[in-house]
Amino acid sequence: MKDQILQTLHDLRAYALLKGVEAMFFYHEEDSYLMRFANSAISLNTNEHLIRLEITAYEGRKRASYELITDLNKLGEMKQGLDIAAEMVKHAQPLSYQPTLPLYPASFADESGFDSTLAALSNEERLAFFNEAVAGLETDEIKLSGIFSNGSNITAQIDTRSEHTQYFRTSDAQVNIVLAHSLLKWEITAEQSAYRKADLNPQSLRRDLAFLRERYQNDSPEQIPLGKYDIVFGATAIGDLLSIMNWVGFSGGALKRGYSFLTEDQLGKKIFSDQFNLTDDPTRLETFPYQRDIMGLDRGPFPVFEQGVFKSFTWFQDDADEFGVAPTGHTVMHKSLVISGGEMEVSTLEELVNLPRENDLLYIPFLHYMNLVNPSKGLVTASSRFGALLLKKDGSVVVPYNVRVTQSLLDIFGEKVAWLAKNQVVNNTSSSYGARNPTAVIVPAFMRVNDLEISHSNTSY
Amino acid sequence: MQKQLREQIERLKAAGATYVDARWYPVEESNQLTMWNGNLKNAAASRESGVGIRVLYKGAWGFSASSDMQNLNRLFDKAFDNARIAAERVTFPIRLAEKDAIQATFNSPNQIDPFAVSLADKIAFLKEMDEKLNQPGVAQRISEVTFMRKQIIFIDSEGSEIEKNIIEAFPGIQVTGLDDQGVMHSRKFSPARLGATRGWETLDPQLFAENAERIVREMNQVRAAEDCPKEDRSVILLPGIMFLQTHETIGHALELDRILGYELAFAGGSFVTLDDFGKLQYGSSKLTARADATVPNSPGSFGYDDDGIPAQDNLLIDKGLLVGAITGRQMVEEANARARRAIFNGSGGANRATAFYRVPIERMTNINIDPGQDGSLEDIVRNTEKGIILDGEKSWSIGSNREQFHFATDIGWLVEDGQVTKVVKNSTYKGATVKFYNSLSAVGDESTWEVRYVDNCGKGQPNQIMQLGHGVPVCRFDNVRIGE
Repeated sequence: MKDQILQTLHDLRAYALLKGVEAMFFYHEEDSYLMRFANSAISLNTNEHLIRLEITAYEGRKRASYELITDLNKLGEMKQGLDIAAEMVKHAQPLSYQPTLPLYPASFADESGFDSTLAALSNEERLAFFNEAVAGLETDEIKLSGIFSNGSNITAQIDTRSEHTQYFRTSDAQVNIVLAHSLLKWEITAEQSAYRKADLNPQSLRRDLAFLRERYQNDSPEQIPLGKYDIVFGATAIGDLLSIMNWVGFSGGALKRGYSFLTEDQLGKKIFSDQFNLTDDPTRLETFPYQRDIMGLDRGPFPVFEQGVFKSFTWFQDDADEFGVAPTGHTVMHKSLVISGGEMEVSTLEELVNLPRENDLLYIPFLHYMNLVNPSKGLVTASSRFGALLLKKDGSVVVPYNVRVTQSLLDIFGEKVAWLAKNQVVNNTSSSYGARNPTAVIVPAFMRVNDLEISHSNTSY
Repeated sequence: MQKQLREQIERLKAAGATYVDARWYPVEESNQLTMWNGNLKNAAASRESGVGIRVLYKGAWGFSASSDMQNLNRLFDKAFDNARIAAERVTFPIRLAEKDAIQATFNSPNQIDPFAVSLADKIAFLKEMDEKLNQPGVAQRISEVTFMRKQIIFIDSEGSEIEKNIIEAFPGIQVTGLDDQGVMHSRKFSPARLGATRGWETLDPQLFAENAERIVREMNQVRAAEDCPKEDRSVILLPGIMFLQTHETIGHALELDRILGYELAFAGGSFVTLDDFGKLQYGSSKLTARADATVPNSPGSFGYDDDGIPAQDNLLIDKGLLVGAITGRQMVEEANARARRAIFNGSGGANRATAFYRVPIERMTNINIDPGQDGSLEDIVRNTEKGIILDGEKSWSIGSNREQFHFATDIGWLVEDGQVTKVVKNSTYKGATVKFYNSLSAVGDESTWEVRYVDNCGKGQPNQIMQLGHGVPVCRFDNVRIGE
């Protein structure tokens, strides 16, 4: 398959050269499987095998692109795609800057994140995994929901500036299990991410679900008072906060367009807690990494924050071209973001609940529907969901109804950080909008932030 | 191709499938152009074709899709295999509500096919808008258009064969600028749907020019404004934010699959229960909402849904009382059975997929609020003692059961004793859904009613982006918390 893909790209390059068109070809192939559960049944069982080809034509400072869903045996259709892109670029308007076309110095292929046994999981294996993960946890009222998404992903590139190619192949799985009470409407969840089959562990999910289920089944819920709380965020919440910071924080393009809450003046200065270390680390296979970017730049560990000090913006090539800065190897479908673990020895929710505590702790594992209220201030808002707990200082545990947190990322990751868990967790942040793009971040299992305000407290889960 | 698809459908029926359908997209095209500060950053087009197969077997769905039409046997078998394994874990065997077999064609109304308009003309339109937006105070200016064209051929095992040809145009302009504290503010304009068509002719340069001047002026007013106060006021929502309020807290809350718990793993559920239909006072008596897939100029109108059900105009909320939901064939059967009463009389025709490679799920059509009897915007303002007019979606965050929400808007105008007094920035409001709609105290007349579109509604796993519409008037709600 790899040879056929690369040969197709070479054929397309030859056609572009024959036509006198400067062009880049980006190939994407996915084989996607998704088993979806709802109301304790399989509500959907689907697979899609799709090949997308994006063709970008260049003419001086002009650029136009054409994307098609196609098949490897349709070379003629792909060539027509180039003809369309070439026609479009003639009529495009010149940019105010020169867009850069990649120049690959040598061919590069990376399949280190591919496990054929994960990519080719059978329907029976997906179902067996779910059955084991929830064994004995469902009742007539407590219903299973969730997804088991797995598949393989190939991206490959060539352009007319060189005959060299880039080729990346990964496998991935994202498991998300929800147990929900159909009458009381509480919901608890457990998640898992895998880049190889050996990472799948249904018993681990079952343990987390059983612990939360016990709490939610037996403890009375409370609408907690508004005010300031010491909050412990779980890994999924931390991952979501990090993902939104990736969008409006350290992206150079967002900075230049006024969408970032960080400024160039802050480079080299302490912005966050000195416990906060953030790296884009493509050596971590759990993040489905790209070790070269689309432009062919080598990618290695790239510090963004060290002990809270802001080290660098990341630049997508087109932004770098427009604003005249050096690219940083971040022209990728996704980064490989890693927040270092801290010093607190706490790995599981059970351990967190059993930690001695001097104040009440509000545990928020999941932030639902996060959005940016004010990008310039890093102000975000979201509601708690899926298994929040109020850990009282007297050692008791209360199940809270959902609350709304509206806070600045500058506070959440700033001096109010009390501790980060030593143990790190892979948080799968993939979305399945459009082309498959398995994405994960690595974050501490827990992060405690003191003195954050709850702005809305509700009367339902 | 239709003959081959029919043969495959018959083959699976003979093999034991209860129901089979195929959605063949001979072509789906899009064209997206974005001009950012005068740079044509994005000049892109796309084309795709393929087929999605849905099989119902022993009460469970299987689905498979591919762009490769050469091996239909394998594709249909894969969908059947997926249904067979799903049938091993069934709690409520899927049944589909009755429907008529239909042979029909739907063409969305348009005068000028945007795909027949030259790229040069499209770029000229963007350039003209960009020049009008290039004014003092503006740091970033964006002009963009997206055009979509799709042909869908639906064939099912119950004798239906429907062809749909749909064209959509989504234009918009936006400006942003920084205030003296370095905080970014935006104003944007996407035209309400005017006339009865959806093609290139809906891009009215004069209308855009007038609104370009307006959004620059208003954005500069916001840059110089004071912060929105933190207090309780009446909020007067213009259609430019009321459409999203409706979308998030009526539309999504009344999708029957959400109500039945089919979206809990991702999008969430709904505070609405089956017991609530016919009983829950969702809003004040001034609130009447409907799912109307017959509005001609809106992307929420598509002739027939992906179950092959004709477009309908269904009441959701009648003078405040909850009476209906957004439904497809599967969910109405399950809801009626679970409730042990006939809440729904057949499918509401709202089952749609975003592409050939996604499975149909309950999606909004046009979720509209009927115009009221409280006059024009000026009339409503005149009758407001202490309020704020809000417009422009800036951010939105909604509880997982749609029971509460927080919105930020691009602009606010304070109202004191029936008079607009001043512009404020960083305006927000929040509330609890049922309490909020029961505080609805004024609904504008037809002069305030506009059809807005949503071109990026996300739902489902695998995720799907859908296009739809909202016809909404100006609405006033009392005692709402703002500024947090």
